[in-house]
Amino acid sequence: MSDLDRAIEQLRACRLIPESQVRELCYKARELLIEEGNVVSVDAPVTICGDIHGQFHDLMELFRVGGDVPDTNYLFMGDFVDRGFYSLESFLLLLCLKVRYPDRITLIRGNHESRQITTVYGFYDECIRKYGSANVWRYCCEVFDYLALGAIVLGASSELEPSGSNANDLTQSTIAVDDGELETEVLNSRGEVTMSSYRPRQRASSDVDTDTQDILPPRDISAAPSQTSAPTRTGAPGTGASGDGNGSSMTSRTGAVLCVHGGLSPLIDSVDKIRLIDRKQEVPHEGAMCDLLWSDPDEIEGWGLSPRGAGFLFGGDIVKQFNHQNGLSLIARAHQLVMEGYKEMFDGGIVTVWSAPNYCYRCGNVAAILELGEDTSNGGTIARSNGEYGRSNGLSGPSSVSSPGRRYRVFEAAAQDTRGMPAKKPVADYFL
Amino acid sequence: MALDLQPPDGRKRVKVYELRQNDWFDRGTGFCTGHISGEIPRIYVESEDEPIRVLLESKITKEDGYQKQQETLIVWTESDGTDMALSFQEAEGCAVIWDFVHSVQQQLLSVAAADDALSDDLENYQPIQLQAPELGNLADIEQIVRAASMTQAGRDALSKFVIRDEYIGKLVPLVTMAEDLESLVDLHRLCNIMKSLILLNDNTIIETVVADQIILGVVGALEYDPEFPTHKANHRQYLADQSRYKEVVPIKDPLIRRKIRSTWRLQYLKDVVLARILDDPTFSVLNSLIFFNQMEIVNHIQSNAPFLRELFSVFDPRYNDNKRKDDAVQFLHQCAAIAKNLQAPSRAQLFANFISHGLFAVIAFAVKHTKAAMRTTGIDILMALLDHDPVMMRGYMLKAVNEKKTPLTDTLIDLLHAETDLGVKNQLADAIKILLDPQIPMPESLGRAGPDFFKLRSSNLLSDAFVQQHFDDSSKRLFQPLKHIANRLSLNELTFQEVTLYSHLVDILTFFVRQHLFRTRNVIHSESLAPRVAQLLTVPQKHLKLVSLKFFRTLISLQDTFYQALMTHNNTFGLILDIVCETMPRDNLLNSACLELFEFIKRENIKPFILHVVEKYRDKLDQITYVDTFRNLILRYDQMQGNGADADATLFSQDENAPQRLPLSGQRWQGVKEMDAAEEEYFNASDDEDEWTQESRAAVAETAVANGSASPVVKPLVDYPDDDDEDEDAMDTKPEAAAAADGSMETPFPQVEETAVPPSPEASSVSEPSSPVSQKPSAPERLAEKRRREEEDEDELVKLAAGPKRRSSLSSNSGSTVMNRKKTLSIGSIGSVDKGGAQGVMGTVMSSAPPKRIAINIGPVKSASPDSAPCEEVVPDAGSEKENQDEQKGETTS
Repeated sequence: MSDLDRAIEQLRACRLIPESQVRELCYKARELLIEEGNVVSVDAPVTICGDIHGQFHDLMELFRVGGDVPDTNYLFMGDFVDRGFYSLESFLLLLCLKVRYPDRITLIRGNHESRQITTVYGFYDECIRKYGSANVWRYCCEVFDYLALGAIVLGASSELEPSGSNANDLTQSTIAVDDGELETEVLNSRGEVTMSSYRPRQRASSDVDTDTQDILPPRDISAAPSQTSAPTRTGAPGTGASGDGNGSSMTSRTGAVLCVHGGLSPLIDSVDKIRLIDRKQEVPHEGAMCDLLWSDPDEIEGWGLSPRGAGFLFGGDIVKQFNHQNGLSLIARAHQLVMEGYKEMFDGGIVTVWSAPNYCYRCGNVAAILELGEDTSNGGTIARSNGEYGRSNGLSGPSSVSSPGRRYRVFEAAAQDTRGMPAKKPVADYFL
Repeated sequence: MALDLQPPDGRKRVKVYELRQNDWFDRGTGFCTGHISGEIPRIYVESEDEPIRVLLESKITKEDGYQKQQETLIVWTESDGTDMALSFQEAEGCAVIWDFVHSVQQQLLSVAAADDALSDDLENYQPIQLQAPELGNLADIEQIVRAASMTQAGRDALSKFVIRDEYIGKLVPLVTMAEDLESLVDLHRLCNIMKSLILLNDNTIIETVVADQIILGVVGALEYDPEFPTHKANHRQYLADQSRYKEVVPIKDPLIRRKIRSTWRLQYLKDVVLARILDDPTFSVLNSLIFFNQMEIVNHIQSNAPFLRELFSVFDPRYNDNKRKDDAVQFLHQCAAIAKNLQAPSRAQLFANFISHGLFAVIAFAVKHTKAAMRTTGIDILMALLDHDPVMMRGYMLKAVNEKKTPLTDTLIDLLHAETDLGVKNQLADAIKILLDPQIPMPESLGRAGPDFFKLRSSNLLSDAFVQQHFDDSSKRLFQPLKHIANRLSLNELTFQEVTLYSHLVDILTFFVRQHLFRTRNVIHSESLAPRVAQLLTVPQKHLKLVSLKFFRTLISLQDTFYQALMTHNNTFGLILDIVCETMPRDNLLNSACLELFEFIKRENIKPFILHVVEKYRDKLDQITYVDTFRNLILRYDQMQGNGADADATLFSQDENAPQRLPLSGQRWQGVKEMDAAEEEYFNASDDEDEWTQESRAAVAETAVANGSASPVVKPLVDYPDDDDEDEDAMDTKPEAAAAADGSMETPFPQVEETAVPPSPEASSVSEPSSPVSQKPSAPERLAEKRRREEEDEDELVKLAAGPKRRSSLSSNSGSTVMNRKKTLSIGSIGSVDKGGAQGVMGTVMSSAPPKRIAINIGPVKSASPDSAPCEEVVPDAGSEKENQDEQKGETTS
């Protein structure tokens, strides 16, 4: 068992690792993250998670509901720290997992991954409290500066394989199956389907799609060597989806999914523009990088001022245009508390995913994670045009992309017997 | 039924409105009173003009139809269905009437309830009476407490009762009783009751709770949280542990001792016991109690001279109880941490007191400690002082230098070089950054003064030369290790420690440059640091590459000719392009950082760099096609070249520039405008001849060194730096000279150059219609209003404004405001070389690249072999510039 595995074990038990080990971990993470682009390319299947905010026990619950690392690929959209009482344990565990399984877990930066914010909202104090000095806070902040700003998920399937564990309401799904393919599905933490929606079949358009479908060269297998051993979990689309081959070639046109903590920026009109940011810096108070981490979608037209004092509000038209221009089918983001754990807006053009149940230990909300299945209909090749540079030029012709099949797993705060009473750690000694 | 209520005093001026056909009809202005006549509570408004006329007489009913809106409005519906509104002149008047209405309703409700005999008298809050607690009636008590907590009136009544009856003290014994009986149900009830009572949010109750004889019982009850039925906390164990309290020097005042204890308990309550359930009001009550306690404690300590003497005597070298010394450091550290929350004057007083008793010696003791944790603590104390008042600290430091003592900075620098604990190293770097910050802060901190504050400040301000010299000396010492890498053949085998040290040093250097480019120039050129940093671009460690890249990116953004010359005469851009080539087309951080750098040059249209890069590295650029950044750079270059000088001259020089020159000569200050690259280049000429020679000489030397190291073939030039160093030394020993130089550098510029900001002919000659700044896609305006804080939103940057200053100085781009100001000062003195050229352009001839040419003129390549200068060809008319220069001289003298 390596030191790293031991550290993971220890952190899973909510016990901190020594300062020297944190330092080493942070240096390793830095070496790793420096190689990542500002927008990381991630292949489906992947499970997308929103804010964690130091709620360690709920993070454990998330792994229980969504599957453990490395069996499930995860993408965390920032805000690991602050507010909750276990920011250190949560962030260090995620960082350990990142270093241990770099291809299995992706971390991007949230607005709370910043020196200024963490000094106000708790992480700084927690570091002082738990390690006696600000050193660990410094190491972590250094890592924050290296975190990617966004991720783009490629090769997601437009169709969901219906979950087998259709608990109480069998009639609901059996009726609907004939109407079209499964588009979204909501499951509770026991894996029971609580809601599903279907996409009407459009035979004509799918025929067209078959004709114009580009077969691109196979993706670089060496980039993801462990792909073959990808485990199939319940919920991840199996090979069955591609087996019937008859109708569902729409899947090949599934657009990419952009994941970012906050939202869009008026300074960024294409995903490629994000690449031109020198991200290794404290989150600025304005500019593209700030906006990506601070903006919120809103029921307005165009751009609006954000009440947060940083970033912007953006409307459905902005999302639609951005998605169209970049061949995206969906923007996944976090940053805002949603009581139901997830919230789709603008005809499914953008979704907010929130993964901190009972936020701040008192908001009473549930949390959600979003699973995107792997599209296997092209025999393992995926349309790569969205991932490479120049994708905005490469897309010509009708770029109506279909949205990926989305499976939301909703969960509540960790059961009480799995955690102690959440509290901050008291000071050891005092003079005054 | 009896209404036990006092009607409000006084008459409140008010307008009465009635809703008629969806319009508010004004029934008149009058004075509003509340009455209870014949047991019937009413609101009366009598007219202002005719006191007999009653504008309104409304019976207050218990129905929930009353609404208070916007502080001054009360709106309700009469029993006949009419909507009425009272608009008060004063919010206070509105509040009085509202309270009256509210309490009447409360009573009516409770009376009605009593009449109906449907519920017991729980809802009658006037007054509240709880039974003496025993295990048998806890359920009832819990219910009453919970019900009372629902309304404000209930809470008030309950608080009053609990305080008067010393009720919490009566509850405490029940905890052990219930524990003895192992009655978990009762313990849970006790816990709920305690929680509710604490959350009543009453100062007195909370102070009672932390009293010696009560606290253990209270937290004992809170150990049994019904939300976690299977858990029991161990608060009592923690709080009962007397050994947690440490005393270095006994505090004798019993009152203060008690305050210390209760503060500690309050903190424990806040952070641990109640952390999960605290609502905002209770949180702030706890915080303010803690704050006032700490104020008193700190005041006591600092006014207690015998205590302080004894405390600091612990560090007497003859005394060797090391444990006690460590504890004393910890004690001071805790004082410093508390001081952070105090108001500035008390903090200043505390620190001044500490310092006069010998705090610096303590810091020196701590930072040299063998235990890394103690070193960290020592630097933390130092940082607290630096955060509090950097000017004061620099004053003390300079005083030490003046008195020929070893200044703290030297100690810290030596430690930084030797330190192996990376956390401590990090802190040291931060401390040095602030201590040596070449920027002299504005005297805004006046008032937070210690005793000899003014003395220090004046000495600090007066001897700028002295400051400069100290800065130069310290910087020399600080950057020594960086200098040594010149002799290393390969940077491939750097140790981990070396890499960390270099990245800290480059980071500090970047900070200095950004803060104050004039002061830093001396060091950069005399120590020839830029080529060293350039060397670091080639190390295998990518993060070190990044740090070095950031240094050059900062130089570029300063748009200062001195630094521009520095960069164009090194192979810096070649090295950066190498990084691009190495990393492309991979999308990684290093690659993005490089792209951003070139995008910046392109966007800001920084001509010297565009010319330099394209001319020197065109082949390389041609090969990088995976992004269009470099293609655009070449395009921009070609546009510059393509638009011939003559064409531009005829187009712009007469039409636009000539008339614009007139107001300039008369008017000096037009406010500080944002200059773009080209403009700044053109108008940064200096009048100061002396400085010109000095600085250009410096530049020659610097560039010579740079090229010498980059291409060793040019042997003779390598000797330059030595000569120059001597010059520098000579200068350093004469503070007056330095002062003169400094003065001339800093003051005259803003007046002369900044006025010259007409639209640059250059900018408009490029075919892009818009100026570089305006090329960004339009975004909604960021009005000041946008920063306004809205109550419900928690994640706000606004809040941060109050945050600690130090950390913002750590953040890599926090310097924006400073930068803006700097920009106005950044008119490079080397720019004076091209003064003639620049202004000549304004006058008659359009030249595409004056600064560039100037740079070449002073550069070693050019001077060594004028004919072979590669750039000469593309510059349209080297000769004409000379003419312009002469011409311009004529103009200025006339």
